[in-house]
Amino acid sequence: MSSIYHGEDRIPVPPADAERFTTVCSYCIVGCGYKVYKWPLGKEGGPLPHQNALRADYRTQQPEQAGTWISPAMHSVVTERNGRRFNIVVLPDKDCVVNKGNHSIRGGTHGDVLYAPDRPTADRLTHPLLYRGHSRLPTTWDEAIELGARVIKATLDRSGPDAVAMKCFDHGGGGGGFENNWAVGSFFFTGIGTKMASIHNRPAYNSEVFASGDAGIAPLPSAYLDAELADTIVLIGANSHETQSIYFLEHMLPNLGGGTLALKQQLLPGEPHARGKMIIVDPRRTSTVAVAEAHAGKDNVLHLQINNGTDIALLNALSRLIHEQGWHDQDFISRRTNNFSVFQQANLAQSLDEAVRLTGISKVRMMQAAEWIAKPKTSAARRRTLFLYEKGLIWGLKNYENVAAVNDLALLTGSLGKPGTGCGRLGGHQEGYSRPPYPGQRPPINVDEVAVKGGASKVFWVAGCNPVGGTLNAQAFRASLAQRTALVNQALDATSSGTLDDKVAAVMSALDKGGLFLIVQDIYPTETAQYAHLVLPAAQWGEMNLTSINGERRLRLYQKFMDAPGIAEPDWKIMARMAQRLESAYRAEGKAEMAARFSGFTWTSDEDVFRAAAAGVKGAQEDYGDTTYAMLKALGTNGVQTPVQEIQNGMPVGTTRLYMDEKRFTFIPSAWPGFPSQIQALMNDSRYPFWVNNGRANHGWQTLYDDARKPYVMGRAPFPHVEIHPQDARSLEIANGDLIELFNPYGSVSAMAVVTDSNAPGHVFMLFEHPKGWLNSLTTDYVDPTTTIPYYKGTKAGIRKIGPMPGLNEDLTFVPTHQA
Amino acid sequence: MSEVSRRHFLQLGACVVGGACAADALPSLAHAAEGGDITTLRTTLPYPRVKLASIGQLTVGREQLTTYPDQASPVVLAKLGRPAINGVGPDRDIVAFSRRCSHMGGTLSFRPDTATFHCPLHYAFFDAQKGGLLVIGQATDNLPQLELEVDAAGDIFAVGIRGLLYGRQTNVLA
Ligand code: SF4
Ligand code: FES
Repeated sequence: MSSIYHGEDRIPVPPADAERFTTVCSYCIVGCGYKVYKWPLGKEGGPLPHQNALRADYRTQQPEQAGTWISPAMHSVVTERNGRRFNIVVLPDKDCVVNKGNHSIRGGTHGDVLYAPDRPTADRLTHPLLYRGHSRLPTTWDEAIELGARVIKATLDRSGPDAVAMKCFDHGGGGGGFENNWAVGSFFFTGIGTKMASIHNRPAYNSEVFASGDAGIAPLPSAYLDAELADTIVLIGANSHETQSIYFLEHMLPNLGGGTLALKQQLLPGEPHARGKMIIVDPRRTSTVAVAEAHAGKDNVLHLQINNGTDIALLNALSRLIHEQGWHDQDFISRRTNNFSVFQQANLAQSLDEAVRLTGISKVRMMQAAEWIAKPKTSAARRRTLFLYEKGLIWGLKNYENVAAVNDLALLTGSLGKPGTGCGRLGGHQEGYSRPPYPGQRPPINVDEVAVKGGASKVFWVAGCNPVGGTLNAQAFRASLAQRTALVNQALDATSSGTLDDKVAAVMSALDKGGLFLIVQDIYPTETAQYAHLVLPAAQWGEMNLTSINGERRLRLYQKFMDAPGIAEPDWKIMARMAQRLESAYRAEGKAEMAARFSGFTWTSDEDVFRAAAAGVKGAQEDYGDTTYAMLKALGTNGVQTPVQEIQNGMPVGTTRLYMDEKRFTFIPSAWPGFPSQIQALMNDSRYPFWVNNGRANHGWQTLYDDARKPYVMGRAPFPHVEIHPQDARSLEIANGDLIELFNPYGSVSAMAVVTDSNAPGHVFMLFEHPKGWLNSLTTDYVDPTTTIPYYKGTKAGIRKIGPMPGLNEDLTFVPTHQA
Repeated sequence: MSEVSRRHFLQLGACVVGGACAADALPSLAHAAEGGDITTLRTTLPYPRVKLASIGQLTVGREQLTTYPDQASPVVLAKLGRPAINGVGPDRDIVAFSRRCSHMGGTLSFRPDTATFHCPLHYAFFDAQKGGLLVIGQATDNLPQLELEVDAAGDIFAVGIRGLLYGRQTNVLA
C-alpha cells in the first residue's frame, strides 16, 4: 500500500540576514498576512536565535502555535532570470490581525507554487505562444503583440467594438489587484469600448450583488471584529470552514466558544452577553456545521437544511415570523430605510405553509431561527446579528431576489452600522476592482450566448480564468469554442507563406466565415488555452507588486519578491503593450480620436498603475484616496481598512465598519419566483432524479490552477468527488472511490463517489471545479434575467456507475468530513 | 505500491515545459513508480532505533503513548484492527504517528471507531489507516508517520519518521 505524500524531514531556516518582504495570501477573501524570507541557495540559518531570521531556538521543540514552524510546503528553491538560485519561505504572519499566524491548507502551501524549473510549476507559461504548424509554439513579445494588435484593429475597424469580446478576472489577490484590473478596464472600456465583456466565470459584466447595491448596502460592510461581537452569526450558502477558513477559525469560532465574552463586555457594556450562536443555511451538512457544533455545542448551532433553490421562501418566512412577533427594529426602519410598504406586500406575504413545503424546514426550526436572529435580549437591548452570505445564495435560484431577501431581513432587524452586526457577502476572491465604467446597460449582455455561441464577436480575449470548465452550461460552450477556433486554425494551417500579413489575412478571412480568434492570457497552459491562437504569459503573485482588499476592506501591499518565469509580464504591462501598439497604428493612419482612446498606458511601475486606479474607486467601499505604496509598506500585513478617509501625518486613516452614520437604505421587494422552465423540465423528467448541488472544498482553490501543481493536494484529490447518500449509493451499487457518470440533456461528467449522508437522499454534492471533471457540463443555460447571474448551484442529473478505479479506495481517505 | 513523492511529481512537471500538455501535467494518483521508488525513507538524519513495544502488548483500538525520536516528541502507537498503509505486524495494522498536529502543533486524540487522530485547536483530523492522510483541516502535510520494524521476537522498533514533525527544523534535534 502507498501513502499519498509526506514532505521532507528537514527544512532550511532563513539566516539572520535573509531578505524580508510582507505579503498577503494569494487566494481567498480572508487575506491572511504572510512574511516572505529569501536568501541564496547554499546558505542556511543556524539553530540558535541569533543565527536565524525568526530568532527561534531550533535546538528545542517549538511550542504549539509558535509561529516559527516552517512546514515543507512553505519552502521552495527558485531560479531567477539571471540564473541565481534562492531559498524562499512563505510563512503565516503572527503579527497580522487577520490570521494571527494561522493559515489554511491553501495559503500554507505557497512554497509549492512558486515558479521553479525543476518542480511541478515548471509548466508555467514562460513565453508567448502562437498557433503555428498545428500546435502552439513560443514566439517573441514583439510578434505576439504585432499579430494580436493587427487582428484586433482590423476587427475593430470592420465590425466595431462589440466584435471584440473579453472574459477577464476582476478580483484581488493573486492574478488580480487594483493595478491589473485598472489596466484591463482601461484597455477594453476606454480603448476598445466593447459591451461584450464578462467577468471571470460569469457570462456577463455584472455585479454579483446588484440587489445589495440597489439597497444602498456595499458588499463588505462589516469588520471581522463584528463576528467576535455578534450574538448570532447567520451563514447563508457558505461553507466557511472550508472556504473562508481563517475568518471562521480565528474570528467566528472563538465567539461561539465564549472566548470573546470579555471583549464583548469591554466594547459593548450595558447589555447582557453570552457566547455567540450560529445559524447555517445549507442543503448539505457541511464540515462547517460539524466544527461549529463541536466547538459551540449542538444547542448553539442551528443547521437549516434547505432544499436547493428555495432561499427566498425561507428568508421571507423568517422576515414574516419576526414581524409577526414584533421583533423588528421599528426605530431603524423609520429612521434609516425607504420602501418598507413594498417589502411588506411582497416579502411579508410569504405563506408559511408554502415556505415549509418548499424549503423542507419545519416551522419550529424557522421559529427558532427567528428568535436567534431578532428576539430582543432585554426590552432595551436588541440582538446583534451578523448576516454573511456567499455563493450558495449568490449563485442560487434567482440572484437578484436572493440577495435582496437577505438584505431586507437585515434592514428589518436593524442589522447594519452597529458593532456585531452587518449584512454582506463573505467573498470568494479578494477584491481589487477599479475600472472605468462598463459601457453596457443592465441587465448586461450574456456574452457566452451572444458573443461566443451566437457569433456576435470575432476576437475573444480570456485573461486569468478558465471558462471551458468554469462557465455555465460548459459543454455547449466548449463545443462552440472548438468549432469556431478551428476555423481560424484551418485558415492559418492553409497559409503557405510565412509573413505576418498573410497570417492576418488568413485570420480575417476565417473570422468572416464565423471563426473566432482566441487570445488567452494566463500563468499556466489552462484547458481554455488549448483552443487559443495567441497565449500570453502573465506574472503571478510575488512576481509583481500588487494591492487588494480582503473581506473587511483591509488594503495591503503584496510585495514582489521574485522574478516572473521566462519573459512573462504583469497583466497591466501586457495590456499596456497592446494598447500602445494600437495607439501607434491609429496614429500612423492619422486617426487621432482612435489613437487617443488607446493613449495613457504610459505607466512605468506597478505603483503608477495603483495611483491611476485610485480614480476608479472614488466613493466606493474600496476608496483608497491618496494612499501610496510607501505608506502601505510601512503598514505591513495589517494595512488599512478602506474607505480611507484622509491622510493624517503621512498615513491613511481608514474605516473599521461602514454605516455608523445615518445613511438610509432601501427595501427591495423580493417574492419567491418559482423555478424557471429549464429547471422545471428537469424536475419533470424521471431520467434525472438527482438534485446536483456543488461547491468548493477545503483543500483546493478555484479551478485548482495552483493546486494541480501541489503534490499534496492532487495526491489527496486526483478526481472531482461527488457526495452521494448511502441509500442512493446502495440502489446504484456505488461504493467509495467508484467512478460514476452524471448526465443530463446539457452534458455529462465523470467523478469519484464518496458515500456519505451529508446530503438528503436524492441530493448529491459535486466539487465545483476540477480539471479532471467539470461540474458545469451539467448546469443549465438559465441565468437570472435581472442580473445575468447563472443558477450555478442547482441542476438535476441522472447517475450511473462506471466502475471502481484501482487504488482509490485503498489510498484515499473516505472518513466523513461532516463529523468533527 | 509506490509513494507519490515529490521526486515523482518533478518528473511530471518537467515533461511540460512550454505548456504543450496541461492535462498530462496534472499529477494523477500515479502508480508509475511502482516497484522502483519504494517506501524506504529518504533522509540524511541519524534516526535512533528505539523499541516502542512488543506486539503482544497491543490490543485493537487501545493506543499506547510514548516518545520518538526523543522525549520532546510525543508519539502514539496503535493497532487498528484493519490493514493500514505502512502498517506492520502479522495483520499489517500496527502504525505509529506523531501526536503533534501538522497544522500548528495541537495535541491529537485518537478515535478508534474511525481510526482517526483529532486536533482540538482547529479541528483537523487524520486517517491512521491511510498513512496519516489529512481527512480535512488546515495542515499542509500528512501527520508524520513513524517508520516501524518488527523483529523475530515480536518487538516493534521505530527507525525513522516520514514528514517533518511540527515545531522542528529537523526531526532529529541538533
Ligand atoms: S483562509 Fe484564505 S487567505 Fe487565509 S490562508 Fe487560507 S486561503 Fe489564504
Ligand atoms: S493545530 Fe491542529 S488543527 Fe490547527
